[in-house]
Amino acid sequence: MNILAIETTGKYGSASVIKETGEVFSAISTEEMNHLKGMMILIDEAIREAGIDKSELTHIAASVGPGSFTGIRIGVVTARVMAQMLGLPCISVSSLEAMAERVLDAAVSAGSLYVVPVINARRHQTYAGVWEAEFTSDYEQKTLCAVMEEKQYMIEDLLAALSSKIAELEAEASGRAQSLKDMLGNAVFFTGDGIDAYKEIIESSLPDGLYTFAGEELRYQHAESVARIALRKAKADRVLSYNELMPEYMRLAEAEQRLKAGTLSDRIRKPVQI
Amino acid sequence: MKDGRFLTLGIETSCDETAASVVADGRFVMSNVISSQIDIHTAYGGVVPEIASRKHLERVNDVIGKALSDADVTAKDIDLIGVTYGPGLVGALLIGVAAAKAMAYACDIPLVGVNHMHGHIAANYLEHHELEPPFMALIVSGGHTEIVNVPAYNKCEKLGGTRDDAAGEAFDKIARVIGLSYPGGPKIDKAAKEGDPESIAFKRVYLEPGSLDFSFSGLKTQALNYLNQERQAGREIRVNDVAASFQEAVVEVIADKAVMAAEKYGQKQIVMAGGVASNTRLRALIEEKAAVKGIAVLKPSPVLCTDNGAMIASAAYYAYKNGEEPTLELDAVPGLEF
Ligand SMILES: Nc1ncnc2c1ncn2[C@@H]1O[C@H](COP(=O)(O)OP(=O)(O)O)[C@@H](O)[C@H]1O
Ligand SMILES: [Mg+2]
Repeated sequence: MNILAIETTGKYGSASVIKETGEVFSAISTEEMNHLKGMMILIDEAIREAGIDKSELTHIAASVGPGSFTGIRIGVVTARVMAQMLGLPCISVSSLEAMAERVLDAAVSAGSLYVVPVINARRHQTYAGVWEAEFTSDYEQKTLCAVMEEKQYMIEDLLAALSSKIAELEAEASGRAQSLKDMLGNAVFFTGDGIDAYKEIIESSLPDGLYTFAGEELRYQHAESVARIALRKAKADRVLSYNELMPEYMRLAEAEQRLKAGTLSDRIRKPVQI
Repeated sequence: MKDGRFLTLGIETSCDETAASVVADGRFVMSNVISSQIDIHTAYGGVVPEIASRKHLERVNDVIGKALSDADVTAKDIDLIGVTYGPGLVGALLIGVAAAKAMAYACDIPLVGVNHMHGHIAANYLEHHELEPPFMALIVSGGHTEIVNVPAYNKCEKLGGTRDDAAGEAFDKIARVIGLSYPGGPKIDKAAKEGDPESIAFKRVYLEPGSLDFSFSGLKTQALNYLNQERQAGREIRVNDVAASFQEAVVEVIADKAVMAAEKYGQKQIVMAGGVASNTRLRALIEEKAAVKGIAVLKPSPVLCTDNGAMIASAAYYAYKNGEEPTLELDAVPGLEF
């Protein structure tokens, strides 16, 4: 198995190749928003680093969003056409899940219960999801388990939902000898560029000591974690044909929203009457 | 290569058409697949860039696949890929560019970027197999009204262009105010056939003597004022007469200037391109005026006038044969100049 994974939903594009053993080889852009110009070069670099030829690829995976609409499209089209031309299956990976995967070890080390990737969608909007780290019975392997739907949240609503989860845990803990702090220390582990945008709002909404922010080196999208999730999906045969690989925008185009709401400007919808 | 012919795949996604085509030896259309989004954008009264980009993504694989199968070839037979990288809507352009690059990389095929406007001119090579530069080109479309001297395959010199609205844009705007739906150009053309072009005296704007530039905004204002007056006076708007008179005012100036340019540069042929080149009155008038001066007028059939992949393939072929370097680092350039 040699899976190519593409990540273009954030600021810096990247490509990785993962082998069946879990070994990953990556290339990441040093230029912001250079996805279109730089992607094939990154892909070629990752394939070379892995010491294989592109004909030896077995799957093409892409981070399908949410994130920058334009970025999402560049990654998804690239994956779709490469898969079509090389005759390979595709694997769809959520950008949010991949961001959670990227910080999973760090979150577990910090003692967090919830991993919360937050993508800045401007004007207090976010794309976010909430995961718990799950352990296999031998505590050897960690994996992600979604506990809140991945979707668009107002940052305030997301934080309110997290607060009530914490309150539930507090209620549970109060009956025990264990100190609250011990049980809930750093309960929430935030990652993503939502931290950069909404740091102050988070800080003023959640009690101190209950959350941690991912360090910058792990905070942003990277194809490596897309590749790791893709490998699990490939092994479980959760693959798609290239035509089934679709973007996950999580939002209608603005004009479409307005058409549905009936607020599309009359000037552009109807012939002008003068 | 197939049967000794050099095969170019052309991909076009600059606006609201997802198109791909296989062209042999830069001249012979083997397939021409055009998936139009007009039906989708009509509800919005014009092209919505974000929606156009989303649709291109959903359609581009099938359009490329069908272009190959219609031509009875596989990706392995393709010798060159050409893709529009500008001008156009940036979100739309990048779907074609990303698709072209992924295919070029996956199949080891050289890729060259094509200027959409050069593509419109090259549509004529597909229609007229003996046509070669030099010639004078007239590009009239939704976004462009340009007179371009073409001394050689890989040379284009812009001599004049619009200072405000493009011809197609002017048609579309007037069509909208007289109640014809988007895109209005073809509907004006049709309505004008039943109208009197002399019924309303719209002005002809020639600008400074000898100028090869255009301006249609004054004419547009005049037409809007006229419609306003008529409505205020309670008179019914005669759509056919307005269409015919407005169209005549636009195409007369275009035809005069194109012929003037050809004469000035000693060109014996005028080559038309762009969506508005389908306008039946413009075609007739320019032929009439050019014939007097012994100048031939060539134009592509309507299907090659609108955006398509075949014209991009032909332009790519000539760019490549004239030394254009293939690249996998192509970027979209929405404001690409001539
Ligand atoms: N028969 C016609 N008469 C006048 N305008 C036309 C005709 N057919 C198409 N058009 C106009 O051509 C334009 C579309 O041409 P196209 O080359 O696709 O433009 P662009 O690529 O610049 O958007 C539209 O403005 C349309 O109204
Ligand atoms: Mg065009």
